[in-house]
Amino acid sequence: MWRLNKVRHKAAGRHGDSLEELKLKRREHERALRQARRDRQLVSKRLLLNEDEDQPEVTMDTNSGEQDVVSLFHKLQQTGSEREARLKALSKALRDPSAQLAFIKQENSMHLLVGFLTGSDATCRLQAVRCLHELSHSPHTNVAPACLPATPYLLTYLSGQSTKFTELCLYTLGNLCPESDVVKEKLLAQGIIPALANCIENQRHNLAVVEAVGFTLSQLLQAKDAAEKIIPMVLASSLPSHLLSVLTPDPDFGLAPAIECAWCLHYLTCSTEDNRVLLAHGALLKCSSLLVSLGAAVAEGNKEEGMELLICPLLRCVGNLLSSCPVEDLSTQVGDVHIVVALCALLQAYLQTQPALARESAWVLNNLTAYSSALCSALLTFNLVPGLIQLLPFSQGINTMILRALANIAHKKKEFCVQLAHLGLLSALCATLKMADQEMVTLSMDVLFMLVVSGPQVAEEFVRQGGLSLLEAIQYNSKGDIRRRATHLLEHHLLSYSVVKTYLLNL
Amino acid sequence: MQQPESVRPLITERHHPTGDTHERRPRETEEGNPFTFSPQLIHLHKDHELFEDGDITRHMYLQDLYISEADDKPTLSVSEFACHISGCSAVFSTLEEYEHHYNSLHRHVCCSCRRSLPSARLLDIHIQEWHDSLFAILAQRQDMYQCLVEGCGQKFRTSKLRKDHLIRLHKYPPDFRFDKTKKDRGTRETKRQQQKDTAMEVADDVCESEGVCEVMCDVLSNQLEHGESMETHVSQEEARMAKSDSTEEHADLSAAAHGAGNTSTESTKPRYSYRVPTSVCFGHGSVRGFRGRRGRRK
Repeated sequence: MWRLNKVRHKAAGRHGDSLEELKLKRREHERALRQARRDRQLVSKRLLLNEDEDQPEVTMDTNSGEQDVVSLFHKLQQTGSEREARLKALSKALRDPSAQLAFIKQENSMHLLVGFLTGSDATCRLQAVRCLHELSHSPHTNVAPACLPATPYLLTYLSGQSTKFTELCLYTLGNLCPESDVVKEKLLAQGIIPALANCIENQRHNLAVVEAVGFTLSQLLQAKDAAEKIIPMVLASSLPSHLLSVLTPDPDFGLAPAIECAWCLHYLTCSTEDNRVLLAHGALLKCSSLLVSLGAAVAEGNKEEGMELLICPLLRCVGNLLSSCPVEDLSTQVGDVHIVVALCALLQAYLQTQPALARESAWVLNNLTAYSSALCSALLTFNLVPGLIQLLPFSQGINTMILRALANIAHKKKEFCVQLAHLGLLSALCATLKMADQEMVTLSMDVLFMLVVSGPQVAEEFVRQGGLSLLEAIQYNSKGDIRRRATHLLEHHLLSYSVVKTYLLNL
Repeated sequence: MQQPESVRPLITERHHPTGDTHERRPRETEEGNPFTFSPQLIHLHKDHELFEDGDITRHMYLQDLYISEADDKPTLSVSEFACHISGCSAVFSTLEEYEHHYNSLHRHVCCSCRRSLPSARLLDIHIQEWHDSLFAILAQRQDMYQCLVEGCGQKFRTSKLRKDHLIRLHKYPPDFRFDKTKKDRGTRETKRQQQKDTAMEVADDVCESEGVCEVMCDVLSNQLEHGESMETHVSQEEARMAKSDSTEEHADLSAAAHGAGNTSTESTKPRYSYRVPTSVCFGHGSVRGFRGRRGRRK
């Protein structure tokens, strides 16, 4: 189980690192992760700490670690009464990566561990699985595959009842999943998916185990070729409904299990454009109502630590599920129109601190408004449009998505256009038309067109705001399609005599 | 900036949801409608760029590196503004900077030689003195060169006399950039000219409803010529060679004007207009230099 709030404090005193050094390390780490993602190699493993540990302690002395491991291994091969203590010592020693290498180089080392894993001594089993867990977390690429002989047993134990033991089995399997295609093939053949389904079903009450199942499943689902084999199997199992039922966070246990399950659902929805199975399970309804309550909490200032770790995958699920949802089913699948209120609250709340999250919220808003008059109307009714217009200066994809959403509204009805113009969209467009981002300029022209043709009042207001000289300038834009738009607007819609006459009379 | 997203192909059913009472826009039937927006559902795949930051946060959390308060505040960036006039690549961080740039450099531009003047009055004087062959003829018989200072009202027989006047009476510096003939322009100027040439290249598709424009310009120019004070102040042109005599100037001028005049009278589509008086002359292609004078077809 992962204690979010404890991560920072202890680490500050570690190895005498100053706060600055820690920041630097963190930034480096982040950079490495970004590069890994670009290379499609973004993989993480988790280390379940011992009860007496607060943070991973790695001994600096590698030589003695290796020697310890070898000698412990030899001693364990002999029968004796010290096995539990020696196994425990071994598990501690195996924290060190070079010790891990040394261990697997020993002949029959895995055979020994499997023996203890399947033996009659429960404490030895626990220590053996702890050893395997350390090995699974190894940064060396040939260590984890050495654990393969143990996996059938680990899978079998998933239906067991010991919490700690099951957790260790799960995280070990989860760490092994992304290792290689060979490992994945074996695990799938050994029935990891039904095993996970059974586990989560039988251990529903045990949230630590549920979290571990979620993690392991997410590791499987992140695979590059998951869409071909793994995802269909998962969708056919009982896992989707279990994942959905865990989504509502338990106030006592915390967000962690919901976070894992939400990420599983995200990997399921983003890997394919056909999400009918999940829609049939009510995934969109569940995720969107959860977002409504989370958005409300955020709006009130109740930002629980780590909330964005849950909000992010939920947003993505809703966004991608919407793109699979037939228009007729929107009202039943989305349910509460207050989803737009929640999204706008998330946009505003995270704009400064997590602009990427704001951008994802804007994306969902686009998908919500694309084909639903009701949701567009809700944005107007709940007076959310002025707030959206104020976000149009912000770049990196935020303003383009928001402008798309506003364009979706304008596209529905002329009455909406009039309202949008009243709320200040016209003057905002006079600014966005001058932006460097060509997509913004093109979108702005299209929205302007919709507003202007909605009625003479809007056209006249635009002229009054100096729109004609603005368009004239745009006629000299370097892009031909933008020039044509400006010319078209001027010729067909703004130079009508009534517009000019009104303007002249008001001079 | 953004990778192409997987945009869901739109099925026709989606355009006409049953039971929804919104109007259909007849836009699609309009001829030559260049506007292409239609609502789109956007599906983002796992590796999409938009998901990068969220994925990184997720993995930082998995590796026990997550902190709720970010070390460095991620920078929320604001859109820049850019001048999109063909050939101009200026970029600005605020709207005000953009407006200043545009108003300074792109508002008062001479159609014929593409020179940018700081104000409408100077543009008028420039056009009159450089591109109007009638001016050259009249200048042989009467004082035509206006003082550049607003309100002075004096006129002079030659540009040199005007220059002397500006220096003596209005205390202009002797090295002030007075009008310079085309042949006097050095390499520096030609370089600038070239830039402006590309700057002003605009597709002919711009000016089509010239007829409308002319009508409106007629209406307005009548209004304007009565007492509307337009600021004119010939500007950045460099000093003419002190020694060139007036006949030579006039010859140059008339040659230049003639040349320019020919192209302008021959072209059925005046290229573009930056000369927009403070009141309206909308419709592209109102070529200021030829309105109200010869060259405009009645």
